Amino acid sequence: MALSRKEDCKPLMLNSLKPKTMPLQLSLPQQSFLPEEEKLLIERAQKDPRFFAPLYERYHDAIFRYVYRRVDEEEQAYDITSSVFVKALQALHKYEYRGLPFSAWLFRIAKSELYQSFRDQKAQRTVSIDKVVLKQVIEEWTEDYTEQDKARLLVALKELKDQQLQLIEMRFFEKRSFKEIGEICGLSENNAKVKTFRAVLKLKQFFHQKE
Amino acid sequence: MIMLKIILDRKEPGIEEVRQHQNFDEILAAFTYQQKVNNPWRYWYYPLLPVCLLLLA
Repeated sequence: MALSRKEDCKPLMLNSLKPKTMPLQLSLPQQSFLPEEEKLLIERAQKDPRFFAPLYERYHDAIFRYVYRRVDEEEQAYDITSSVFVKALQALHKYEYRGLPFSAWLFRIAKSELYQSFRDQKAQRTVSIDKVVLKQVIEEWTEDYTEQDKARLLVALKELKDQQLQLIEMRFFEKRSFKEIGEICGLSENNAKVKTFRAVLKLKQFFHQKE
Repeated sequence: MIMLKIILDRKEPGIEEVRQHQNFDEILAAFTYQQKVNNPWRYWYYPLLPVCLLLLA
């Protein structure tokens, strides 16, 4: 999976939030498959599910962390991650390689499993944010950072529509590239950029309304 | 509507801790079981067997 690229870092509104690198906990393992190698592994796994093991080993951590940041309890995150891979095995025969990384397909399954859990009320929708990032966002919009601003931003986040929140979450809290966001959300890179820009505008608007 | 909870500076489990929860055999077993359960032909196997035996007899 591509890390954040320079062209992704053109300022939207949050200049200081330029993702330099993806945080260690969210990045895929350094040792990555070449697209051809991955394609071969997928084809083998489509014929015999036992050959899915290397793909499972490679993507388990990234999927787990994606889920973990969105649910309240760790055990639930492990359960949802397991069901993501069971679903992936079930649907693997339908998978066709169309230039998108295999991880994007897994992330989409994870997203759908997560929302199924929220609907069934098995899990609580959670957003995990680092205080440093929160501070950076506020400092972009106001002169001083105060505890009151922090509380205002948290309230503003809760007022966003779910898709807007997802975009902000992936871009600013998880430091994903627009390319990656697009792949996960089923959008083009440009579309992801535009939608994220609109989401930021909305968040800013909600933030200033609370003044 | 989904209720939202925001957690600040949440501690994430380490790579090794996550790896301990990796169990491909478990995933494979769940997949195999579900395939077996979802296979509509399995309901035909057992009734068909005595019929075949009767026909052969």
